[in-house]
Amino acid sequence: MPNEVICVEAASKRYRLQHEGAGSLKNLLLCRGGRTEALWALHAVSFTVHEGETVGVVGHNGSGKSTLLGLLANVSRPTEGIVEVHGRVAPLLELGAGFHDDLTGIENIALHGSILGLSNRRMEELTPSIVDFAELGSFIDTPLRTWSAGMVMRLGFSIAVYSDPDVLLIDEVLAVGDEAFQQKCYDRIADFQRQGKTILFVSHDMEAVSRVASRVLWLKSGRLLLDGPASEVVAAYQKAAGRVD
Amino acid sequence: MRFASNLAAETRELCRYHELVRNLMVRDLKVRYKNSALGFLWSLLNPLAQVFIITIVFKFVIRIGFPNYSAYVLAGFLPWTFFQMAVLDASQSILLHGPLLKKVYIPREAIPISIVLSNLVHFGLALLVLFVYMAVIRIPFTAKLLLLPPLIFFHLLLTMGIGLLVSCANVFYEDVKYLMTVCLNLMYYMVPVIYVLEQLANIPPRFPWLYAHRDAVLAIYQLNPLAVWITAYRRILLPPVPDVIGHAPLSLPTLAVAALLSVVAAVAGYAVFNRYKWEFAENL
Repeated sequence: MPNEVICVEAASKRYRLQHEGAGSLKNLLLCRGGRTEALWALHAVSFTVHEGETVGVVGHNGSGKSTLLGLLANVSRPTEGIVEVHGRVAPLLELGAGFHDDLTGIENIALHGSILGLSNRRMEELTPSIVDFAELGSFIDTPLRTWSAGMVMRLGFSIAVYSDPDVLLIDEVLAVGDEAFQQKCYDRIADFQRQGKTILFVSHDMEAVSRVASRVLWLKSGRLLLDGPASEVVAAYQKAAGRVD
Repeated sequence: MRFASNLAAETRELCRYHELVRNLMVRDLKVRYKNSALGFLWSLLNPLAQVFIITIVFKFVIRIGFPNYSAYVLAGFLPWTFFQMAVLDASQSILLHGPLLKKVYIPREAIPISIVLSNLVHFGLALLVLFVYMAVIRIPFTAKLLLLPPLIFFHLLLTMGIGLLVSCANVFYEDVKYLMTVCLNLMYYMVPVIYVLEQLANIPPRFPWLYAHRDAVLAIYQLNPLAVWITAYRRILLPPVPDVIGHAPLSLPTLAVAALLSVVAAVAGYAVFNRYKWEFAENL
């Protein structure tokens, strides 16, 4: 049995919904901070992911997918329970998150590397492959504000996969690229899988999920409804979605 | 003890990301100076114009200047600008980086710290301009300049502490930025920028109550570490003001208190930031 890479044990995440600008000093001074409502975005979710697995995560908007990714990326901590990830995690970043409009592609690559925890030297070595894979050509020396959304996404994907993480978090962003590049991304994901890396793939595109993932988690209202082989969970999910429609 | 070991662990984690802090700082400077060939000079335009107009007003309209008054204003204005801009930029920094912080783990303090450091680099460049000005108006450079690095260090600690505090508070309370604008506007008059400490020390007898308590007034005034540091820049860079203006030696206890308060501000700012940083993602 390969090593456990992700271990989530009875993890819950509570958000406080604030009403009418509770986040103001006025309410603090008037002791009116109490007008908040608790919302459990995740409720006692448990699962483990082993090295080399590709796990899809499906669910409606607001089912807790993003919250789960946030916990795995160590962006927030669970209110209750345990979330453990062994190894370096790389999420795909977008414009506004990590990329800066006024900097060139090359400058963004350097900055991005250190955001993902890589040294500047390592990033310099990787830059040619990243630029090559993202097919950016001479755009790489121009500021990102002259780029199209697809180009930025290509750069983000390229940096994330070449940064060689132990766990790759993919959140819906592949939809931006054109078909040819999407194909390239899937090929690259397949390479990744062959190298025994772990991938978490969040998408509403059931076809993409069944294609990439071997196992799927179905989240509903913050609870883990189903955890099993991709074909079964996707079929159940689609059946349930069909009933709603 | 637990407090200390927690902070030590956080600091080690931050050190692991020292390249990120540097890269963020470089990015901040690049973006600031980009898009215009005169980037750095433009950013100096505001302080220089302010010092120019302050000099005109005080020397020729209010007529309470003294020789080289403009150099004294500049030597106070530049450290003040560093503090003000660093705190203002830091206060917005976490909110501006919201999308990033919601996606990927980095030590969050890297962001306000890098912003304060990029303002420090800018301050260093501005000091070079002050040196040029001093040379032009023939103010001699003395061995006291050797005290500049430790002074900048404590000034930086103070600025860093306040910057971390407001960047954190701004995430949770949106009116912090309005409060801060008011505080900074008041602070401008509570530190010796448009006047010098010697003038404050020299309270005339026609204000009997203030005159009787002039030592206490000065002592309380100097409890503000920023006021002490700004005066210290003047003492290090410039010759003493003429005797008629007044006397106000910076005593060793005053400096020690200011140094202590600066260290406390830095540690407290860092500790409060680390205490609340895990709640950022939910509030951004």
